[in-house]
Amino acid sequence: MKKINIGMVCPYGWDTPGGVQTHIRELTQHLLDEGHQVSVFAPVTNEENISEEWLVNAGKPISIPVNGSVARVLFGPIASSRVKQWISQGNFDLLHLHEPAIPSLSLLACSAATGPMVGTFHVSSPKQKAIYAIGPILEPIVEKLTARIAVSELARQTLKDHFDTDAVVIPNGIESAQYVNANPTIHWRNPNTIGFIGRFAEPRKGLQVLIDALPIISRFIPDVRVLIAGPGDSDEFVKGLDIGLRNRLAFLGFLTDAEKVSFLKSVDVYVAPNTGGESFGIILTEALSAGTPVVASDIPAFQAVLEMGEAGFLFKNEDSADLAKQIIKLLRDKELQSKLSANGKLSSQKYDWQVVADQILSVYEMAMAGNQKVGLTSEGRFWNRR
Amino acid sequence: MSLNQLLIIVFILLIIWYLSFSASRLDRLHHRVETSWATLDTLLQKRAAIATEIIRESNLDPASAYLISSSARSARDAAISERSEAESVLSESLKMIQEIAYDESLELPSDLLVELSDVTAKIKLAISLHLEAVNAARNVRRKLIIRLFRLAGKAPEPVKFAFEDDVL
Repeated sequence: MKKINIGMVCPYGWDTPGGVQTHIRELTQHLLDEGHQVSVFAPVTNEENISEEWLVNAGKPISIPVNGSVARVLFGPIASSRVKQWISQGNFDLLHLHEPAIPSLSLLACSAATGPMVGTFHVSSPKQKAIYAIGPILEPIVEKLTARIAVSELARQTLKDHFDTDAVVIPNGIESAQYVNANPTIHWRNPNTIGFIGRFAEPRKGLQVLIDALPIISRFIPDVRVLIAGPGDSDEFVKGLDIGLRNRLAFLGFLTDAEKVSFLKSVDVYVAPNTGGESFGIILTEALSAGTPVVASDIPAFQAVLEMGEAGFLFKNEDSADLAKQIIKLLRDKELQSKLSANGKLSSQKYDWQVVADQILSVYEMAMAGNQKVGLTSEGRFWNRR
Repeated sequence: MSLNQLLIIVFILLIIWYLSFSASRLDRLHHRVETSWATLDTLLQKRAAIATEIIRESNLDPASAYLISSSARSARDAAISERSEAESVLSESLKMIQEIAYDESLELPSDLLVELSDVTAKIKLAISLHLEAVNAARNVRRKLIIRLFRLAGKAPEPVKFAFEDDVL
């Protein structure tokens, strides 16, 4: 494939951590490694946090509360004219817009541009409906996309429900080599250690389900411990917990990417007790790729990643007793652990960026088949024609 | 000029704007249908060419060789109305090649087989993009205002390419 010049738009603040931002960063890195040109346009809160030379600052994002957390988005007349400027100066072969249905930069770019455009839809939570409720207004804009990508079957379903249009499913990518070659950290590497990553204070992350399962597990496996990584107030969380239970928990706080990789490699089993609201479950693919056996709730996103139980164990959502049963079964049986680990590694191969980026590139190729370049809609208006 | 007259003028202007907006929207959708079909068409032609090439370079038995090369030829020559059926027949016969691809004694050209599976994957993608475009265009054409003012003009109703996805 010939080398192309891609304009990528991120709707959320670049310097706040998030799945979409990570996805864009890794995809961009991969495309650059393959020799393509990429320019990423994103809102930035603090210019000093930015180290990537391919990032173009679109301005300070506005914080809007969505779905229990805060979305940092950017729109308005100034943002709109910056988008146009970026597009007209970029001379792009293709635009890749992330989350084009969220009122932010991607939507502005989609409305302003003509030519080959690819949109990736990440969300699937039905709670986002408020933001999608303006569907009829967005539809004429979103239908300008030449090709649509959904990151999971669920995200595709959400898109179908809201816009009456279909999408190609291409999963989120991971750098699997990083996980396969990771080194475990010695002081995390105790026998019978369960790992959990996430903002544990949020009920939908389901840590409570795991904690309720602990008394049962400890009866069968006396030295079981839980390592909890992720931001949040741990003192607040353990308040009111039984002291014996409290001693089995260790809070590690926020982990850097490198620490996270090592964490996943160190624990004996990774547990994802999320009660809902997940679109894809990238953390599961990361744990699988590290070769760590996974036990997860049977919400649709996790069922898909764990291939209905082939690549990892599933337990009945919000059922602590069932979770305990699965964990005990796994921790007691070394052979089962290594079998699950091998299955998981195998099934996580399809999430490697090598594979995923190739799929995305063939969508690009398909979108560019018209041999057009990216331009601005306004250039076509008769009063602007030269 | 009374307020009423002003309102009427504004209303008429709004309608005119909406009509022009709808017309350009529909035009864009028709354009998308055309380009996505062109992409799909190119890929299908390429697949037929690869199939013929594979037959030429392998030592398949005459019966299967004939089956594949004739279905490839008819897929290439088919009129637009018979196209999807002809392509489905070719898919069926190509499936046979994929089943016997692991048989070493056949000396199938492996680089062409790789190319074939590449093209097949792309065809799947192209079909879904094309179907999406056709659906979007049809949905918009069904709108009352578009039919009332004949905004679709003489552009033919986009047809779905009835390709059986599962045979690929």
